Amino acid sequence: MKELQVLARKLLAEGSVGVVIGYEEGPHGVRPAFITRSEDAGRLVFDPRCVHNLATYLSPRRSVVKGLGKPAVVVKGCDARAVAGLLRESQLTRDDVVLIAVRCGGVMQHPAQHVDLRAETVADRCAGCDVREPHLFDFMVGEAPTAPPATDRREARIRELEAGSPADRWAFWQQELARCVRCHACRQACPMCFCERCVADKTQPGWIESSPHPRGNLAFHLTRAIHQAGRCVDCGECERACPAGIPLGLLNRKLALVVAERFGHHASDDPSVPAPIGSYASNDGQEFIL
Amino acid sequence: MARIGVFVCHCGENIGRTVDCARVAEALREHPGVAHSVDYKYMCSDPGQALIKQAIVEKRLDGVVVAACSPHMHEKTFRRACAGAGLNPFLCEMANVREHCSWIHEDRARATDKAIDLARTIVEKVKHNRPLQTIRIPVTRRALVIGGGIAGIQAALDIADGGAEVVLVEKEPSIGGHMSQLSETFPTLDCSQCILTPRMVEVYQHPRIKLLAFSEVDEVSGYIGNFTVKIRQKARAVDTSKCNGCGACTTACIQRKIPSEFDERLGMRSAIYVPFPQAVPNTPVIDRANCAYFKAKAKGATKAACGKCAQACSREAIDFDQQDSFLTERVGAIVVATGFQLYQIGADQPQGLTGYGEYGYGTVPDVIDGLQFERLASASGPTGGKILRPSDGKEPKRIVFLQCVGSRDPAKGMAYCSKICCMYVAKHTMLYRHKVHDGQATVFYMDIRAAGKGYDEFTRRAIEEDGARYVRGRVARLYRDGDVIKVHGFDTLSGEPLVLDADMVVLATAMRPQPGIEALAQKLSVSYDQHGFINEAHPKLRPVETNTAGVFVAGACQAPRDIPDSVAMASAAAAKILGLFSQAELEREPIVARVDASLCAGCFHCERVCPYGAVERKEIRDRKGTLLKVVAEVNPGVCQGCGTCQATCPSKSVELDGFTDQQIWAEINALAL
Amino acid sequence: MATAAESLTTFEPRITAFVCNWCTYTGADLAGTSRLQMAPNVRIVRLPCTGRIDPLFVIKAFERGADGVIVSGCHPADCHYTAGNYHARRRFAVFRELLDFMGIDTRRVTFSWVSASEGGKWRDVVNETVARVQELGPFEAYHQLAGRQA
Repeated sequence: MKELQVLARKLLAEGSVGVVIGYEEGPHGVRPAFITRSEDAGRLVFDPRCVHNLATYLSPRRSVVKGLGKPAVVVKGCDARAVAGLLRESQLTRDDVVLIAVRCGGVMQHPAQHVDLRAETVADRCAGCDVREPHLFDFMVGEAPTAPPATDRREARIRELEAGSPADRWAFWQQELARCVRCHACRQACPMCFCERCVADKTQPGWIESSPHPRGNLAFHLTRAIHQAGRCVDCGECERACPAGIPLGLLNRKLALVVAERFGHHASDDPSVPAPIGSYASNDGQEFIL
Repeated sequence: MARIGVFVCHCGENIGRTVDCARVAEALREHPGVAHSVDYKYMCSDPGQALIKQAIVEKRLDGVVVAACSPHMHEKTFRRACAGAGLNPFLCEMANVREHCSWIHEDRARATDKAIDLARTIVEKVKHNRPLQTIRIPVTRRALVIGGGIAGIQAALDIADGGAEVVLVEKEPSIGGHMSQLSETFPTLDCSQCILTPRMVEVYQHPRIKLLAFSEVDEVSGYIGNFTVKIRQKARAVDTSKCNGCGACTTACIQRKIPSEFDERLGMRSAIYVPFPQAVPNTPVIDRANCAYFKAKAKGATKAACGKCAQACSREAIDFDQQDSFLTERVGAIVVATGFQLYQIGADQPQGLTGYGEYGYGTVPDVIDGLQFERLASASGPTGGKILRPSDGKEPKRIVFLQCVGSRDPAKGMAYCSKICCMYVAKHTMLYRHKVHDGQATVFYMDIRAAGKGYDEFTRRAIEEDGARYVRGRVARLYRDGDVIKVHGFDTLSGEPLVLDADMVVLATAMRPQPGIEALAQKLSVSYDQHGFINEAHPKLRPVETNTAGVFVAGACQAPRDIPDSVAMASAAAAKILGLFSQAELEREPIVARVDASLCAGCFHCERVCPYGAVERKEIRDRKGTLLKVVAEVNPGVCQGCGTCQATCPSKSVELDGFTDQQIWAEINALAL
Repeated sequence: MATAAESLTTFEPRITAFVCNWCTYTGADLAGTSRLQMAPNVRIVRLPCTGRIDPLFVIKAFERGADGVIVSGCHPADCHYTAGNYHARRRFAVFRELLDFMGIDTRRVTFSWVSASEGGKWRDVVNETVARVQELGPFEAYHQLAGRQA
């Protein structure tokens, strides 16, 4: 998009940023781009195929990206929530990054070679989006887009699972998790998974064994889900990255519904809104406690 | 390979009766890492402890597990024994096979199996125990006493007489508290002010007591031995360095009809006032809400109104522009001695209670409460010590006293007993008879609780010598009928209802903690119960400590209490504090959290959840000074060892010494063996 | 459901209890001092505070053969460390729903507030949990997953 390219060119030319992290056309569709020279700014694109959460590159652990200099990042609303999360958890200071927010009307559930955004193709997670125009930004580009109606099919699936018995749910998840090879792509893709040494890699003691055995798989996904509760921004990258097609979105969405219902918490692109776990209210529900 | 010693205690019959201790010792002998395993009758006895010490030396043990009673009983005992033999005390743990096993199961076989499991679990934990060193922190030998009533005064004097400095903060313009309002005290009928005021003066003159009256605690931070307290000295509008207490200002004040708080609204005071003649400090304060000067100023008047007090003052001590000022004090210990207030029916009801309207307090004239009666009886009170009705100044010939108004009533009031009312009501009947020889006192009571020294004799005296009539029963309601108050009650001993004519009714209302106690408690991180009373650390054995190290409690702010008990508590708190201060450094159990900076991702979830603010931020820089990352660091002096940080840390980069992941994992793992 | 004959060889559940030192552990001590009899199936792991209790403990307990788990601490407002139990309350409110969603029968996990003076309540929590888990039977699904012999 022209506006974005012009802005990127300017920022790089004046030297206020060392790299513009955005999207570009690749051989298999859209892919992340790291533009370090203003003459390359023309490569930048933005359209509903741009599903990637570029905030993941802001983690201080990504030393190669860090080496490129102060970044400007193209963020959709959901991505801005991740930036807010990184700010909230001291992984970033506001001055460390320039945020180029784009007005977004939804992205495709399955990004393909060509743009084709319709009610049938729009991503589940775009349903009910309240950050089509992100609130956290330095620059805002793009037109207010038309957003096709999106339904979150995951919620229906969650309710369906809840209506079944624990044994049914156990069977479902065991079947799904049986395919997990513990590649940890979900962890790598997630911007909120930035721990220096993930507890899953801790061997003394080994709470979660590393081999792709059902017991370790269950422990890993239970742990990742609980660590993400209230922090997950629903960017969908974990599920997209998973080579085994495990419906991780169901787990994250389920816990998002739990924290919304119990604590009124919704993922926010406002860094001052605290995460629900790590806070408490004197009247938190305790109906499950004897 | 670990070399752990296991010692299984019979505890006489307590464990031995249901647990086969010899078999437990035998089973543990086979356990990997156990180098020594025996059973013995009484491990906590001298010979028992000697067994441990001997084994440590002879078998070169690197860990000790005593399978016996609860660690709450004897962990310290056995740790000391281990230390005596040269083994770090934190390499010693206990398996609870008494309270948690032998005492609660009858089936000998299953109890023994469970005891073996429990012992093995602790052995596995101890394999991961690390030697820990007691933490030593410096201590500031100054104490803060919050509240200048009798408890606060006693605590301050005892601490100061013990050689340490005290800062005494009192929110009212004078110290003395409710005891200064009393006429006489039970069971001696000592004149209250006569025994109190010498103490007040002693506080004022004591070289080691810094008295901050008309002041409040604003902020508290820090930890035992090292608190930092910000105190707000409220503006009296009088310069205390110039005022000599002559009283010319109060005489000159044009406002004379303000209900006096000291006289419980039965008398009047001026806008610039000293609460009572023996006030300490004897410096007046201006009540800005009622002072003509300040009221005009608040309305935006450009010309100063009144100012007669300033004109009357020969020392130019009145300072209308005075502002609140702030002081920061460093102290090593804090005593909470904020005392009580009486349950005010009709006004500011606690927790949504709206009971006792039927007793007419605030609506029916001449229905008063206990403190108001004290002011009537007091020689320095609004009636000069004469018992007179507030409505018409006539002498009442019949007074009815109602006990338990608001107390012992889970339905409408507070469930607890306010402890002092039976005694002061008896006292009131006696004072009344002594002043009004033909007066008749009737007391409606449920029980007479007179358990102290000379207390029962005192209540008997009221009945047998001073003619008080005691009716066992409650009053349903009372109302005004012409010049008298009709009191409808019930006598449960005769089984008859009765209606009495009274000229005055005195309600013995419940004792409650002072307003604002919750906010103060939260500043100090001490807990309180649903009524606001401060929680003691242990109801039996630690009555003057709170669960926050370094913060002590004395007097009626912890529970309804009379003067002797408040004084005793205050002295006890002072003794504890002087004990604390007697050490060059404070020793703390080293069960504290430690962050592994190399693993910490600097997300600071731990900082957010730490109840004590023990987590600080530390910059990690390279040799050139380039900032590499900012990580969490735990201040071992502040950390109290709850471990919430560790459970919250996603990567487990912070570990709680004594309860590390390795240790807990080992315990869970052991249960599967 | 076991018949009278079957109950002679009734399944005895293994319960791991994670309790806080100041309240529930002391309450359990009081139950002992008061000689309150209870089922011998519970093994207590002592923690300083419920704030220290990690969901990982619960997972590992099931992995290592527990049929049921108890998590117990101080009542709200009574925490020795002022706020640890509030954090635990939130953490476990969410974790419990997660367990349920993944098909772990939450009747196998008991959460309770037992104060230092509630020896009787501890006895009831223990007996009730044991009875409940006994009814549910061994946690075979998890034990098979973990590669344990039944």
